[in-house]
Amino acid sequence: MPPTPTLRSLLARRRNATVEEVRETLHRFRSLVEQNDRVLELIADAGEKLGGEYVFDSKYLQDLAGALRDAAHSVVTTLNAISNDRYPELLDALAAIDESVKAALECRLAVPDSPYVLPLSEVGLPNLEAVGAKMARLGEVRSRLGCSVPEGFVVTTHACRDFLRSAGLLEAVEILGRRFAEGRDGLEVETARIHQGILEASIPRKLARAIRRAVARLVKPGEKDLLLAIRSSGVEEDGELSFAGQYESVLGVSVDDVCSAWQRVVASMYTPGVLDYLRQYHAPPGCGFMAVGVLRMVPVRASGVVYSLDPNAPENDVLVVSAALGLGKLVVEGGAPVDRLEISRDPGHEVVSRRLARKEHMFVAVPGRGAVVETVPESERLEPAVAPWELAELADTACRIEQYMKSAQDIEWAIDHAGRLYILQARPLRVTAPMKPPERNLSEVVGRYPVLMREKGEVACRGIGAGPVRIVADPEELPQRLAPGAVIVARAATPRLGGLLAGASAVITDLGNATGHFATVARELRVPTVVGAESATQTLVEGMEVTVDAEDNVVYGGRVEALLRYQLFERSSFADAAEFRILRRMLRRIAPLGLRDPTSPAFAANRCATYHDIIRFAHEKAIAELTEIGWVSTPSGVPWVRRLDLPIPLDLVLIDLGGGFRVEAGTTTVTVADLTSRPLLPVIEELTLGGAWETAPADMDLEGFMSSATRSMPLTGGLTGRPEQNLAIVSKEYLHLSLRLGYHFNIVDTHLGDTPADNYIYFRFVGGVTEITRRSRRAMLLKRILESHGFVAEGRGDLVVGRVKSLDADAMVHRLRMVGRLIGFTRQLDIHLRSDHLVDEYVARFLNGEAASPKV
Amino acid sequence: MSTPTEVLVLDDEPLVCERLKEHLERKKYRVEVFTESRKAVDRLAQKRFDVVITDLKMEGPNGLEVLRFVRDQNFGTQVIVITGYGSMDSAREAQYSGAFDFVHKPFRAETLEATVRKAARTARKLAAQGAP
Repeated sequence: MPPTPTLRSLLARRRNATVEEVRETLHRFRSLVEQNDRVLELIADAGEKLGGEYVFDSKYLQDLAGALRDAAHSVVTTLNAISNDRYPELLDALAAIDESVKAALECRLAVPDSPYVLPLSEVGLPNLEAVGAKMARLGEVRSRLGCSVPEGFVVTTHACRDFLRSAGLLEAVEILGRRFAEGRDGLEVETARIHQGILEASIPRKLARAIRRAVARLVKPGEKDLLLAIRSSGVEEDGELSFAGQYESVLGVSVDDVCSAWQRVVASMYTPGVLDYLRQYHAPPGCGFMAVGVLRMVPVRASGVVYSLDPNAPENDVLVVSAALGLGKLVVEGGAPVDRLEISRDPGHEVVSRRLARKEHMFVAVPGRGAVVETVPESERLEPAVAPWELAELADTACRIEQYMKSAQDIEWAIDHAGRLYILQARPLRVTAPMKPPERNLSEVVGRYPVLMREKGEVACRGIGAGPVRIVADPEELPQRLAPGAVIVARAATPRLGGLLAGASAVITDLGNATGHFATVARELRVPTVVGAESATQTLVEGMEVTVDAEDNVVYGGRVEALLRYQLFERSSFADAAEFRILRRMLRRIAPLGLRDPTSPAFAANRCATYHDIIRFAHEKAIAELTEIGWVSTPSGVPWVRRLDLPIPLDLVLIDLGGGFRVEAGTTTVTVADLTSRPLLPVIEELTLGGAWETAPADMDLEGFMSSATRSMPLTGGLTGRPEQNLAIVSKEYLHLSLRLGYHFNIVDTHLGDTPADNYIYFRFVGGVTEITRRSRRAMLLKRILESHGFVAEGRGDLVVGRVKSLDADAMVHRLRMVGRLIGFTRQLDIHLRSDHLVDEYVARFLNGEAASPKV
Repeated sequence: MSTPTEVLVLDDEPLVCERLKEHLERKKYRVEVFTESRKAVDRLAQKRFDVVITDLKMEGPNGLEVLRFVRDQNFGTQVIVITGYGSMDSAREAQYSGAFDFVHKPFRAETLEATVRKAARTARKLAAQGAP
């Protein structure tokens, strides 16, 4: 097996450098790391502002955008300086992000280049800007919660924009947006002109074809008279504003009329009523593009609306159901009496009050005629529209959606003739009643529940969540998806957990800190999170019901309903303020980390979609540049370059950037006693301890020997055929250790000082002497050991990259000692790893403090 | 039952005003908000407030002028000044001119509320000591 491409490309690029060049490169690298940290701090800070406790203004948002842009640009410029302009495409990615953040700040909509049509199965909150809020939420309810929703597809905002352009209306829309932003009155004429223009324009052929094809896919074999509902899905309807009834939806549309119905819905964006609504909520202008959902109509028996909380009397603790026979039009638009029921929010969902209407009429969908009024037969007029068991299912579903969406919900639903419940729409409920805590004496109520943990670790995202504990001890065994509503209890706050967060009601981790990547993701998704709680995986038991109060940092046994309700009140009070909406939108372009795995081929400059991606990519590549310094020429008499005298056969050259070691006059070497570099000392001390460094050459079996023989490199020499240098570039608080031990590269880049936020360890390992299977086993072993020490680690083939951040000095020393021992322990270990189960044994040996004896 | 503390909030950003009003009212303060300093000064001339929270940079009379107006009224009213990013100098100037305290944006609503509570105590004490 040849070395991995990563290793080969590393080798090909290695170069010689003078000491001055190295110092200069290191100086730049340090500045890159500082700016990298600055971006992370700004992201964490902005995430904290989303928590709702802060008051900020548009000036803050502008300053934030400016500071992020400056720091990210500095990172990219520095990387290109270090790498001799190797990443010009990073500048393009950066420019695109700048523009997109600016658009969010100015409340302009960035229309993503999505297909014109997306099936509902591919729709969720991550593509909100393509599919609009209503459809994004419906997609989420379908795929995350497994609720039944009608089949269908979404005509995207991109389609809308291209249509407006081809209709020659784009400029008029932009002018309208600007005038609206300037607070001008009298925009009715322009609005009406755009409205009319949309209705009269012809749809571009390409778009019409895309819509027709998607419709055809909805038609079942032999099906006639398929009826569709065409529903608006504005991007501004993104949860914070309800837009209830502002935009048009067209029901009972036949297959041939979908395009014209789509135009009607798009045109409904441009009405005086919508402008008034936007003004009332200080909503931004210029969101002039709409996505539209095209959904099969459910053959309904009954339908209506459920509020997960009574908006006028939230303290009553009931769900409110309105129900009518036939289509929900009667309920939504009013005009006739409907059944009204109040159902307890407590499990069991008993009916608290019931007022049945005399139902004389109902709406039904009729092919060719749309929604039509019919008379209800006399015998059915006083019957309830919904059966008791259907009510219980409805209440339960509403509570689940509320828990998942983390706010009280206004849900449209339908029940078909077979009694199957469909969710047609779910949006945040505006609670209009004065905000008063639902419980008079919260502390008294809470006092009845056992406290399982108190003030352990730090709160990364405030809030309250409850559910069954789901322990994720080994990040390797992360499930693809968790049952919604679980409380995730994990050992490490690894970014990979981020993928599970959306459905979780809360998260607690043993390790990690509130400024890590994971915390940022938690805040973006608003999942209550406590990190660094030390022993949560030990204290809490799989399946037990707990309530995580990440306001006061307490974990209670059981489900503390009073706290959960309190949470609903708190949230709805600030979520719809304009600056929060803008910040949330900005953060979507800043904080998510898409480039998680540096060992993946997708880890590329053109994949950087956020500032977070940019700095992650740049940091990784900057370290790769450092590893390319293959040989440093060491002019005699220079006091900052010395060879380190070690009791083990390791030839290590030290380069001092300041404060790394003491130099005796007239010497060419230094000893361990001369070292003053805080991060180097623990690594070297541990590495040189008896047993950590395996001095005897490892026995090699025939297979291993053949594998190494075919690699045509001398076992004792370097990978490039020339002598290899092991380098330690050090200062008082910094270490860049670059080891070439036979056939593998090992990089440790670390800062250890008194400010935990500045501290980090970066560990990278690639290569080996044996075939790829054994080398990969060693990589797997390294990854597991790193992860068990709180590192976030990624691996592919024989490459492993691990990182840990923001630990205090003691914890850093502890980890660096471990790293020192690990370097010695794993040096020739691939040769011994003849089978997978040996990985487990060696991991156990290492964790038990045993040496890596060649005989197991 | 004591009478509620009267607070006047003045900031040209309506969003800041709304958030403060909402937060303080939840804590049982009686709050009036103004986005134009001229109107706020008119109101201050009509009615005694315990605490005034004002932004510094505004069209019309600025925060310092509002502060001086309140001080000259001699009603014991305490003024808390809100300043933007990195405007430490103007914050100091406000304190020399008799502001009770200042907060930098962005700030925690809870932090401000704690300051308002202290300012209200001082205002009450001064009023009791004979401010007209």
